[in-house]
Amino acid sequence: MFRKGNIIIFIVNAAIFILLEVAAFVMLRNNGQMQDIWISRGVHSFMANVWGCTENIRHYFSLKKENDALAERIYRQEQTIRKYREITGKDFAEDSIPETVGNFRYIPASVAKTGRNSQHNYLIISKGSKDGIVKMSGIITEKGVLGIIDAVGKNYSYGRSFRNSDMTISARIGHEGAVGAISWDGLSSNGAILREVPQHILLHAGDTVYTSGFSSIFPPDIPLGIIGEYKVENGATYEIKVELFEDFSSIRYVTVVNNVSTEEISELENR
Amino acid sequence: MKTAQNFGLMYMLLAIIQILICNYCQFSPLLVLSVLPVMILCLPLSVGTIPAMLIAFATGLAVDWLSEGLLGLNALSLVPVAAVRKPIMQLFFGKDLIDRKDSLSFRKNGFGKISAAILTFHAIFLAIYITADGAGMRPFWFNLARFGISEASGYLISVIVASSLIPDDKK
Repeated sequence: MFRKGNIIIFIVNAAIFILLEVAAFVMLRNNGQMQDIWISRGVHSFMANVWGCTENIRHYFSLKKENDALAERIYRQEQTIRKYREITGKDFAEDSIPETVGNFRYIPASVAKTGRNSQHNYLIISKGSKDGIVKMSGIITEKGVLGIIDAVGKNYSYGRSFRNSDMTISARIGHEGAVGAISWDGLSSNGAILREVPQHILLHAGDTVYTSGFSSIFPPDIPLGIIGEYKVENGATYEIKVELFEDFSSIRYVTVVNNVSTEEISELENR
Repeated sequence: MKTAQNFGLMYMLLAIIQILICNYCQFSPLLVLSVLPVMILCLPLSVGTIPAMLIAFATGLAVDWLSEGLLGLNALSLVPVAAVRKPIMQLFFGKDLIDRKDSLSFRKNGFGKISAAILTFHAIFLAIYITADGAGMRPFWFNLARFGISEASGYLISVIVASSLIPDDKK
């Protein structure tokens, strides 16, 4: 049987032990290149496991909400398929869903971790090179654009979030309207600013903003948000506030999209 | 009091010997010669776990600092030895020795038990030292061979050191 005094002594011993070992590890890390890599790898591996556990716990308690959202999404997609079936008269066999549609390859993934407390936010996606993820792929949901893959590991990928002060995406007002550049407003979780839209364009608050498809990263016509207030900037173009559809604080499932023609496009650009 | 002073002087002398070993006795990459674990084993039992850990850290750091090795390596390996000193001693010598804060003695505790304790202390130290030194870059067989050779040679030196540090046996 442990007595109260013994427990306190044990805790103090453990605390001092950890303190001394951490101090020794820090010194070792600063003095040995190999040890630096080894310790960094160990720390990252430990952190990844901790993130995984905490995210799993968080997801477990939000399962009902996720299920409801998924059910709603499935319903809407089934309705879309029914509509296309009626228009085309063709049947869409469920066992032949292609990964690639048009020029884009779609890979479903889940979010392992998100950083959302700074001007440079990020996402860790639980799929990596072994799942076919490549650098400079887009991260999307049916509600908008989340970011761009920056680095790819074997099992995980690191993506720069749209909520980065230096990230800009080509966007279009409506399906066939004017094109501008949209970026995060740097303040709110669902606010963005659309710029470079010429002043002569007629705008209506509530119009939907979509991806333009002019970049080789994101496919066209992904809804991003709706137009809010706007004003003329520098006397030539509009600065339009956009309320994004995606809530960045509750992202769980995403789709990684990469353009299969990227190499061909780059080659043409470099000619 | 005199015994404590003698022990302190002896302890510092052994730390200097360890520094010399680290600097001038590097015979092979497979051999790690260290008397530090046995120095911790021979600390008087009146020294608690926290002071023992602090002594181990300071000794390890001093050896790292004054020898050509990596700063922090000996300290990292020696602190766990000090942390488990009393439980291991209790395992080999019984609870009475710890409770009475009695000194270790080859005559009273037996050569076999002290040897087993030395081997255990040395094994803990070497396991951490070799793992941290290799940093996951060296093959397992190399680490295993290094551990085996160092454990055997370290044991021989440690027995000599123990006989000089354990006060009862000097009389």
